[in-house]
Amino acid sequence: MTPPKKKILMVDDDPDYVEAVSSFLEANGYVVLKAHDGRDGLKLAKMEHPDLILMDVMMKERTEGFFTVQQMRRTAELEATPIFVLSSLYSQAPDFRIPPEAGWLAHDEFFSKPVNLMELLEKIRNCLAERAHEEARP
Amino acid sequence: MTDQTEPQTIVVIDDDRAIRLSCQKILSKSGFNVETFDNGAHGLEAVARLKPALAVVDLKMPGISGTEVISRIHESDPGIVIIVITGYATIDTAVGAMKLGAYDFLPKPFSPEELRLIVNRGLERRRLALESHRTEMEREILKHRFITFVSHQLQTPLVAIHQYLDVLNHLGDADAAKRREWIDRSLKRTEQLQAIIKDWLTLAKVEGGLYSRQRAKVDLRETITAIIDTYEDSAAAEGVTLEDRLPEDGCPVVGDPNCLSVLFDNLIVNAIKYNKPNGKVTVSADRTADEVVVSVSDTGVGIPEKYRKMLFNEFFRIEELKKTTGTGLGLAICKRIVSELGGRISLESEVNVGSTFRVQLLAWRDPVNVEQEEERQKDAISNDTAQEENPDGR
Repeated sequence: MTPPKKKILMVDDDPDYVEAVSSFLEANGYVVLKAHDGRDGLKLAKMEHPDLILMDVMMKERTEGFFTVQQMRRTAELEATPIFVLSSLYSQAPDFRIPPEAGWLAHDEFFSKPVNLMELLEKIRNCLAERAHEEARP
Repeated sequence: MTDQTEPQTIVVIDDDRAIRLSCQKILSKSGFNVETFDNGAHGLEAVARLKPALAVVDLKMPGISGTEVISRIHESDPGIVIIVITGYATIDTAVGAMKLGAYDFLPKPFSPEELRLIVNRGLERRRLALESHRTEMEREILKHRFITFVSHQLQTPLVAIHQYLDVLNHLGDADAAKRREWIDRSLKRTEQLQAIIKDWLTLAKVEGGLYSRQRAKVDLRETITAIIDTYEDSAAAEGVTLEDRLPEDGCPVVGDPNCLSVLFDNLIVNAIKYNKPNGKVTVSADRTADEVVVSVSDTGVGIPEKYRKMLFNEFFRIEELKKTTGTGLGLAICKRIVSELGGRISLESEVNVGSTFRVQLLAWRDPVNVEQEEERQKDAISNDTAQEENPDGR
């Protein structure tokens, strides 16, 4: 029996961006859930318990993604879900850097948009494999 | 000082009883609701429960340290103003506390005035911060992060196109219909990007005076009829009829012909775009000696009150109407043009009934006519005088 497909939740307000990235991930064996704003993202995450979350930053509000990450981290069942932030923020505002010690931005990876799809795929695979390994341990 | 009716809550966390009592006394007198705690753990619990506006925290306490308390308060709600009390005020401890999110620090011993001053200053800053947070986020962006915002607007379609091309590259064996869809959607986003750049350039030209320098006689009747002719068929295809109720003998204004075309083109296109099936667009004009007032009315969706203030801002788009294509720059261009021409633009709107954009512009007066008019008036006056002098008309 093949193992069930891993679920990835993608939160992004640009339907074209979601279509592009999710098509690529689906072709690589993942199920992709889609939400177009932070609120729906949080709701869907609580309902579906995805294995990993891809989060945009500037949606309706400039820092909506960051706030959503924060809210997810405060939700018990999502506390440990890996979150990858995908944003064009850094390329636009090179002076905008979040210090790594900033506790409020507890995401696991950061990607500049447009992302290198192969790199994204590899990071997702590694991250999920690591989790599986951790869970398998007694 | 504040417009709040409820007294604001201040939490004081200090192991020194004397400090707690004096803070309680001083701040209660100023009308605050003050709660004091002798250790970090109780203090943090109270902060979570009471959601105070401000917290006064001693840096040196047994148990959870002051710095830990500060960073945890700041983490839980960055809006809470934190004031640090310290008996060993060094630059290092102060900077350290600031880094953790404290607003200011108060070295021991302090006078009641010092405490009151620093608390009031902190609360004032909080009030301002909350206020500016309340004013719509987009407006804030326009003011402070304009360049980031513009580049986000330009980059978003580009990023989507790039990612589609990437996917096409990686998934060459995907379904042909899918690939076609990705290409079509990329093309749409390319068009969107071009439209934004075009509008952005128009705006820049208007602002730079390139588009608005000329002050000629422009007959708006001609300008508007030409626009209506252009869009009549495409509007009819959407079930929208266009009607002009402009004075037969024209309505000349002072302005730049290019600019005025862009202005009314934008208003009329919007009136068609945000209309309803079987809707109507009416363009009418009123003339006075000094002014021409043109109204562009639609029978469309209307603009909710809360959006009206921001409507003319660059890149502002009404959330509910984002499905309709647009760059978010059209009305910003209109406003700019009207103000360059010394006119005014205003809006009346009722949700689900329609909107009317009213443009007031300076009426054109022929110099010759002015002279003739003066002549005529002079004649009229001398006739009157003549009549007075000769009441029987002889």
